[in-house]
Order: sequence, then C-alpha cells, then structure tokens
Amino acid sequence: MNIETTLQQAEGLLAPWNKEATHPESNRLDVVIASGSLRHAVTALHNAHWGYLSAITGLDLGADAGQMEALYHFCFGAALTTLRIRLPRTALALPTIEDIIPPATFFERELHEMLGFKIAGTKSNDRLFIPDDWPDEVFPLRADFSIEQAKPVEGRQTDEVLEAGVVGGNKFVVPIGPQHPALKEPGHFEFSVDGEIVTAARMRLGYAHRGIEKAAEGRNWIQNLYLFERICGICSHTHSLAYCLGVEKLAHVEVSTRAQAIRELVAGLERIHSHLLWLGVAAHEAGFDTLFMYSWRDRETVMNLLEQLTGNRVNYSANVLGGVKCDIGLEQATAIKEGLNFLETRIRHYLEVVTTDTMFLNRTRGIGTISYTEAEEFGLLGPTARASGLVRDVRVEAPYGAYKQFPISAVTETNGDLEARCAVRLNELLVSCFAIRAIIDNLPQGPLTVKMPRKIPAGETISRVEAPRGELFYYIKSNGTEHPARIHVRTPSLCNWVSVLEKAVGRQLADVPMLIAGMDPCFSCNDRMITTVDRSGSRQTLSWTQLRERGIEYYRK
Amino acid sequence: MNIKNDPLWVNVIKQIRLWARLNSVWAVHFNSGSCNGCDIEILATLTPRYDVERFGIKLEGSPRHADVLIVTGPVTRQARERLLRTYEQMPEPKFVISVGSCSISGGVFNGCYNVGGSTDEVIPVDVYIPGCPPRPEAIVDGIIQLLSGLRDGTLRKAEIPQTTGQVPA
Repeated sequence: MNIETTLQQAEGLLAPWNKEATHPESNRLDVVIASGSLRHAVTALHNAHWGYLSAITGLDLGADAGQMEALYHFCFGAALTTLRIRLPRTALALPTIEDIIPPATFFERELHEMLGFKIAGTKSNDRLFIPDDWPDEVFPLRADFSIEQAKPVEGRQTDEVLEAGVVGGNKFVVPIGPQHPALKEPGHFEFSVDGEIVTAARMRLGYAHRGIEKAAEGRNWIQNLYLFERICGICSHTHSLAYCLGVEKLAHVEVSTRAQAIRELVAGLERIHSHLLWLGVAAHEAGFDTLFMYSWRDRETVMNLLEQLTGNRVNYSANVLGGVKCDIGLEQATAIKEGLNFLETRIRHYLEVVTTDTMFLNRTRGIGTISYTEAEEFGLLGPTARASGLVRDVRVEAPYGAYKQFPISAVTETNGDLEARCAVRLNELLVSCFAIRAIIDNLPQGPLTVKMPRKIPAGETISRVEAPRGELFYYIKSNGTEHPARIHVRTPSLCNWVSVLEKAVGRQLADVPMLIAGMDPCFSCNDRMITTVDRSGSRQTLSWTQLRERGIEYYRK
Repeated sequence: MNIKNDPLWVNVIKQIRLWARLNSVWAVHFNSGSCNGCDIEILATLTPRYDVERFGIKLEGSPRHADVLIVTGPVTRQARERLLRTYEQMPEPKFVISVGSCSISGGVFNGCYNVGGSTDEVIPVDVYIPGCPPRPEAIVDGIIQLLSGLRDGTLRKAEIPQTTGQVPA
C-alpha cells in the first residue's frame, strides 16, 4: 500500500472527529481534534490496526499565546498521522489512553511531568524521571521555566524511600540498583518475590536524566549536534543522524549521495559494535564470561575501524549538518573489508554458540517468550519486536538516506524468546556486513558536505531512524532562528521496558537479569519513567531511616 | 617483644600493606548520569585487549569490598545522594577516580536543570581522567598514576568538597 492511500485511510477513519486536516509533508497527515474525542479517535486507529503509537509530543506555544499542544504521532510504514489537541494553559486536561495502548502510559507520564498536562484516569502517578525532591507544580519544559523555581523541596530526599524486607511468609522484596554489579548504568528495580518466583516488578529510572531537551532550546543548531550525540554513548551516530536528517529536511537541503552512503556505513559499523557489546553483556548476565571476553575482544576490531574512519572510538561525530566530516579512501576501504572478513567469521561462530550451547540455551530458550500479538500490544520496537516476528524496522518500512540505494532486508524470528532475540541481533550483523561491503564497492561520487544556512526556516518535522535498539523518533520544530523551538526525542528502550516488567512476573528471580539484558536497555537514552506491575497486592514501604534502625536492632540481638 | 612498638616491625608491616594495596586494587563503578560512553570504555579496559587485571585490578560489585570508586557522568540530582552513600559505604583507605569530561566539569551537560555539576563537588576526587570519552589507554594510565602516586607517596591529597555540608568519613 502506498503512502497516499494509507493516509487517505487514516483520514477516513478520523473523519467523525476531524476539525481541520492538513498535509505538512508528503508522508504526513495532521488532524486537529478536540480533547473530548481523543479516546474515540485513538480507538478508531487502534481497532483498524492503523500503525502504532510512536510518541506523544508536548508543545508549549508560549505564555503570550496562552495555549499548549499535545501531538499524538502514529506511524504506519512511512506514513505518519498526528492528532493535534490544543488546550488553554489554564485547563490542561487530557483523557488517558493507556487502557487502549499500554505503552502510552510512559508517554503520558512524560507529558505530565515535563509540561504539566493533567492525565485523567491514569493508574500510575509515581515520579517518572524528574528527581524526588523536585517541587510539584514546576514543569521544566514550559517556556517560562527558570531554574530558581526548581529548588529542592524541604523534607524530600532523593534517596530516602526504599522498599525492602520481608513482606510476610515467603514474600520478600529484592531491591536492585542504582549501583549494582549486573547493571552498568543506574536504574532502580524492586522485584517482589514469593520464594524464588517474582510476583511484582517495579522500577524507578531518572538517575541519568539530564534535561537535554530543555538544554537544546538554549543552544544553536550546530551546538545541538554535539549535545544530541551525547544522549547515548553507544548509539551516538544514530542520534546525530536523526537530528541531522530532520534539520536538513527543515532547511530543504539535499545531502550528496556520497555523504548519505558514508552515514549508512558508519551506522552499520555502529550496529556491529553495539550488538557485539550487547552479546557480551548478555553472556555475562548468564554467567558465560568466556563469551563476554571473546565478543569484547572482537568488538575492538570494529572500534579500530571506527577510529580509523572518524578519529574517535565512541562519540565519533561523523555527521555534520549538511553531510559528513570523514571520507573513505582506498586505505580505509581495505581496512574495513579486512575487518569485516574477520568479524563475519566470528559472528557466524557466535551464532552457532548461542543456538547450540546447552548451558546458554538453558538460560535463553523458552524464557521471556513474547508472542506476535503481545509484541504488537506492548508496542515493542527493534530487535525485541523482530524476534517475535513483528517487522518494526524503519530502514525497511520507511527507508531514509542511503537505505533507498543500498537496501537491507529485515531479519525476523518467530519464537519470541531470548534465544530468538540473540539470533535476530547476530543475523542482523551479517546483513549489516553485507550492506557495508555493497557501499564500499559502489561508493557514489560527490561532495562530503553542502552548505547549510545558520538560521533554519520555521516549520516542524519528524525524523525517524533505526537505532541498534529500535526506532528512534525525533520531533523538531524551528521558529526561524538560530535556536530550535522544541526538539522531542523518543528512544526505543522506552517502548521496550514493558517486555521486561510484564515477563518478569511469574518467572524465577534468576531469570530477571537475562530478561533485562534481552531487550538491550539503554538507560541514558530513555531515562524517564517509573511503572508498577503488581499481581499480589501486599506491599510494605520502609523508609531508609527505618531500615537502618531495623538493621542496628537486628545486630544488637 | 611487642611488634606494635618496634619501629622495624611497624615499617615491615607498613611495607607489606602497601605491597598488598598496590597489587590488588578492587574497583567499584558508579554511573551518576553518564551517557554510557565512558562506561563502555571502562568495561573495555577490563576485556582482553587492555586487560587491567594484569595490574591486579578487578571490578567489584559491592562498595563495601572496594578500594577505588570510579565515577562517570555529571552528577544528576537523583543520583547525588546515592553517590555520596556509595562513597560512605567504602572502607578506608579509599580513592576516587573521576572519568570523563562530564564527571570533571559537567561537560556538555553543564547548565542542564537536572545536573548538579562535577563529581568533586560531592566527594573528594584523587585522579581525574579527561576525555569524551577517554580512551581505554588513558583510563589505564589514570589508574597507574594513582598506584604509582600511592607507592611513592606523591599522591596529592584530595580536596574535601565544601558543598556537601558534611565531611565524608
């Protein structure tokens, strides 16, 4: 189905509530609706299986305008439908849609905490990603926010409340993190266990929340390139790529095919580095440290290639607005080909290991199985979704940049368990190797960069890129100045957490680290939420002070 | 003979302690809001290419068994208390290595509303390793500088931060 008919279909579905429809770009449909009809409109799209909810963006139109906007973005292949709801700043009430689309709960929490929208009927009211000592009615992404308003509230501590201890009988709460040997990044989990079986899972992130979206509004377009690259050190290239593609679209600048091909090549190398890193970490969680050491040893090969190409091992800054900064000569091409030869043999070997090694299979086969329907319902993205047979890959569904010229094929598995996720990721690397070779052999000629204006014309755009972990979503709005008006980032890990929290309940506690590793979480990317899945009901909250007293008393006896 | 009062024995025991300390450094890693770039480079130093285990360095999970705290990232508001607590849980003598530009000055995130600033505003830092992120070689070099400073007694005394209000033990 082509984009036009898909959009027409969406327009037809939304017709009863449509107040005003526009086509800002050829693949986009903007529909203005009233907040009262939001649930009807979302249900209509959801029941017709029209794509999936990709993100919810909140916009503050300024204190003078007195209005705010909530944008609900639905993606279906390359087509995008945005439901726009305008609300006065004094009455920011929106109905929840988390019962229709479960992952929306994270987007809604974000909307509430960053901009102060009141979500009526939502079940989760815990802090999402702003600190615990943050004052209640202060919203950092509002236009009139100043840091003076955000003074810590007296009597609230960021590290005070800790749920732990015996809940009764065999029930126990196991707190994990934010500093924990199994976690390389900070996140806090509480798993209630009955004996060995997990009965409830809860998590609190926000330890790595830095406030990048707000900072971006105060920096110019070029400075922001380096800021967004540092959202995540593992997938830094895809972040800067999504940003560059969006800004270039706004500025109506066409990047040369050579630069686009080099961008895809670096993205391919980055995917290899990211997935090999993940394989090592997953093996480490399974207690298979030999595989961890081997995969990290081989990963150094691709790190060398990235360094040779861009000058840095991590945060390569290969992208600049209007092109790339690095070229590929004969020397680099030979080195990359040699590196790929070595890596391909190693990847094939790892593929054999993860699908035949009995010990490893005991930790992966049949564990955390997610069916196709569940994957669709949870709104999973990237390799986690593809392991369940759900094709969610922007490179295939909506090819951008050089992916039109050097297409790749989507790798899928059907089992949906941890083994399938291992296989999907490793097979994906072979596809990436193939694509990189094709690019080197047929590298188009052309300039590396084209001139970009310093001021970007007013407008808004959406840029979607496939990161190693799934679809990365950027909403970029310019008001014609040297600074962006608003940039909203939705990272893939945010959508994939549901797979861990839902699947941990009912499993053994020992499977939890593997489940967490199975989705390849990136805390620094998605650090913005909290959620609770509780099927037992009983729970006791102890403050840190109480717990300390309890401990002292225990040792006195 | 009382070993505790005999200057010869006191010196011998001191030397043995130092020898043990220099050859079995256990490190605990704390990410206080980093982008992950430094963290993967720290992990890379533990893996075969760089292999810091040849210096007796081992990554330890619990701060209660660790000698060295490796901190990455700008200190976010939510992570600040936990960083202080992790530091307090470590037994004496303890040393802190601050890895990466963000950890040293806030880096690219300086001025963000949720970022408190550098690590040395919260806990005393002994060694700084700059870079965004620093190369594994730089991290290995930083650790070696800490160890050689300890061996020669030339390690600069870490400044106790003023902003914490209390002097960490």
